[in-house]
Amino acid sequence: MNTRRVSLSIVALLTVAGLVMTGCSCPAKEGSVYKIGFNSSASGSYASLGEPEAKTAEMIQEQINKAGGIAGPDGVQHDVEIIIYDDETEADKAASNVSRLILEDEVIVVVSTTGSGQSIAHISHCQENETPCISMASAKPITTDPNTGNEYKWMFKTPQTNGHAGEWQADYLSAIGVSKVCILYTDDGYGADCLANFKATAQAAGLEVVYEAGYTKDDKEFSAQVAGVEASGCEAVEIGSTPPVASLATVAVRTAMPDMPITLGHGVCNQAFIDTAGVAANETVFPCGKVTVIDQISDDDPQKAVLQQYIDDYIAFTGGEPISTFGGHGWDAVWMAIDALKSLKDGLSLQEQRAAVRDYLENNIKDWPGISGTFTFSAADHNGLTKDSLLFVTVKDGKWVAFPESEW
Amino acid sequence: MPRIPQKKSREIALTAVVAIVLIALTIFLGSLKNLQPRHYIQLTMDGIRGGSIYALMALGFVMVYSVTGVINFAQGEFVMLGAMVCITVNSLELPLPPAVKLAVSIIAGIVLTTLIGAIVERAAIYPARRSPPVTLIIITIGVTITLRATALLAWGADPYVLPAFTTLALEDHIFRFSGVTLQAQSLWIWATLIVVLILLYFFLERTILGKALRACAVNRRAAQLVGINPSRMSLLSFAMAAALGAIGGIVLGPATRPTYDMGLMLGLRGFVAAIMGGLVSVPGAVAGGLVLGVVENLAAGVTDPTYKSIVSFVILIAILLFRPQGILGGGERRPEES
Repeated sequence: MNTRRVSLSIVALLTVAGLVMTGCSCPAKEGSVYKIGFNSSASGSYASLGEPEAKTAEMIQEQINKAGGIAGPDGVQHDVEIIIYDDETEADKAASNVSRLILEDEVIVVVSTTGSGQSIAHISHCQENETPCISMASAKPITTDPNTGNEYKWMFKTPQTNGHAGEWQADYLSAIGVSKVCILYTDDGYGADCLANFKATAQAAGLEVVYEAGYTKDDKEFSAQVAGVEASGCEAVEIGSTPPVASLATVAVRTAMPDMPITLGHGVCNQAFIDTAGVAANETVFPCGKVTVIDQISDDDPQKAVLQQYIDDYIAFTGGEPISTFGGHGWDAVWMAIDALKSLKDGLSLQEQRAAVRDYLENNIKDWPGISGTFTFSAADHNGLTKDSLLFVTVKDGKWVAFPESEW
Repeated sequence: MPRIPQKKSREIALTAVVAIVLIALTIFLGSLKNLQPRHYIQLTMDGIRGGSIYALMALGFVMVYSVTGVINFAQGEFVMLGAMVCITVNSLELPLPPAVKLAVSIIAGIVLTTLIGAIVERAAIYPARRSPPVTLIIITIGVTITLRATALLAWGADPYVLPAFTTLALEDHIFRFSGVTLQAQSLWIWATLIVVLILLYFFLERTILGKALRACAVNRRAAQLVGINPSRMSLLSFAMAAALGAIGGIVLGPATRPTYDMGLMLGLRGFVAAIMGGLVSVPGAVAGGLVLGVVENLAAGVTDPTYKSIVSFVILIAILLFRPQGILGGGERRPEES
């Protein structure tokens, strides 16, 4: 190799290095891109819940892009990228998606997932990798360690819990003079949590649980459960399921026992329940998130403005798809994450960002009006809602109608 | 009167003892749960309804297996396709009275699914026809996943509604007699199974094409030697299996809320029913389906319904271990390897 070629190469290298360095010394106004991981069950048996969640996330991504990203407290502008995955309602897929978001995509905060069992499956990934995760599912063990009773440090969730739903059901059933109840539930994370909470709240209200039976989310035949309900002599049935299996169970109980009072959990607050249960849905009662009964909410409710905004945006974004509470759980989780990201100063390492987001969620989300309720997180409560975040409703002629205590 | 061989009589005695023990156990467990006779009637009737669908599925498995030696795991997807196509056509704005529209949708569901069955055979099975059956079985699993994923794209994940045949509405007519309820759709399901069996009997016993199909099932090489084209018979068996599946899905549709993933559970139950029938016997498949439906429902009724899905798989293992020839026997015959 001759000298000339060597010197030419050195010149070329220097030029490239110079270009790279000018690239680096760009104006400090544009900060790094903030990545939010989002995983929901957009297919599989929870698809009717997970799909509106995923669409809500896409909608928020579009809104943030239009606004040109978010500004930190130091005035630095950051783009936000929401990475959206589908776990197909499978627990192992949920766990691997979350692990991929944390380790490969290096997101700051994860929103995951639709189902309770699937959410529980990825707790260890969030805890061990010290990444804040916000679940859109309702079971208590998602945020509370069942062994110690303490909240997991890195886990949060936005839906109202089945305990809140159980309190409403037990209050209602006591008020109409029922003393013996049967509980039917789907044999999965959500249903098992319904069973545990409905049973605990019913017993606390002095009701006797005389029969409990499960079914899988794919079951089409309920005569075994119905025979058990009939034989046990109970006076009301509490059903802890999501559609379509909740609709089939409701139809089966209604067919055999037309006058049996049926109460359900807030897993049925979507249009699919009314569409697939038909007339059998009439007279059923259940607590619902306020978004499904927006016209029944008074104007001085702190959530009213947020609710109306979300409904208008979602309908415009999806071209008129029906609103469900589940999309609302996603809205709360993603916006909470974005609010926390807004508090970050520029130049933190990924681990510092994750820790700061977690601390912000726990300490700074106070009286935060969302879709699922008004949130107040604390170290002892990573859900931050009360029973009043739900509105008790009944179905009349295929429509949700508020059903306040005065009408029981 | 022919003497019953000793081995045979021992077998009959053993079966009787097992049956009596199971019935006694059922009644004992039922009495613990305070079940009345009408509950047993209800459980049995609903079990026959579910079992009729399993029987239609099992017939599809038998059709394909006896002719080609392939377990067609896509059978469940044919059920889903039948129901979904029928619902889609029925929801179109057609200038027809509702009853005629439903009839047109039913025919469309069966014809289109049959066509898809035939396409599946030509596109996925025929090119690999020289491969061992295991390869073909794995191909059917691939077909299953493809069909289900396509259905998710086409119909989304929401449950759909097919109107009941009697009322043409979501709510079916319900017969009530002394505490037992019977949906009118159950009668349609039973009638469908009977009609399908009669048609199948005439096709297999009385037509040249049906006899050719049976000949191919008995011995493929010999059938080929007398001028029957086995590849055409394979096409026919897949088309028939798809039609049987579609019919099952359509009559079951109003009793459930069809979703794109409904084929998985039904396919597995239909497979268990086919195994119970010995995999190559038409009466065996029907008996297997009906017995599975009733046993599953009764077992769930007297024990904890949560464990219902275990029942069918316990039966599957028991049959494969102790009675691989099927509950009616006659299933030892295997299609000749080509």
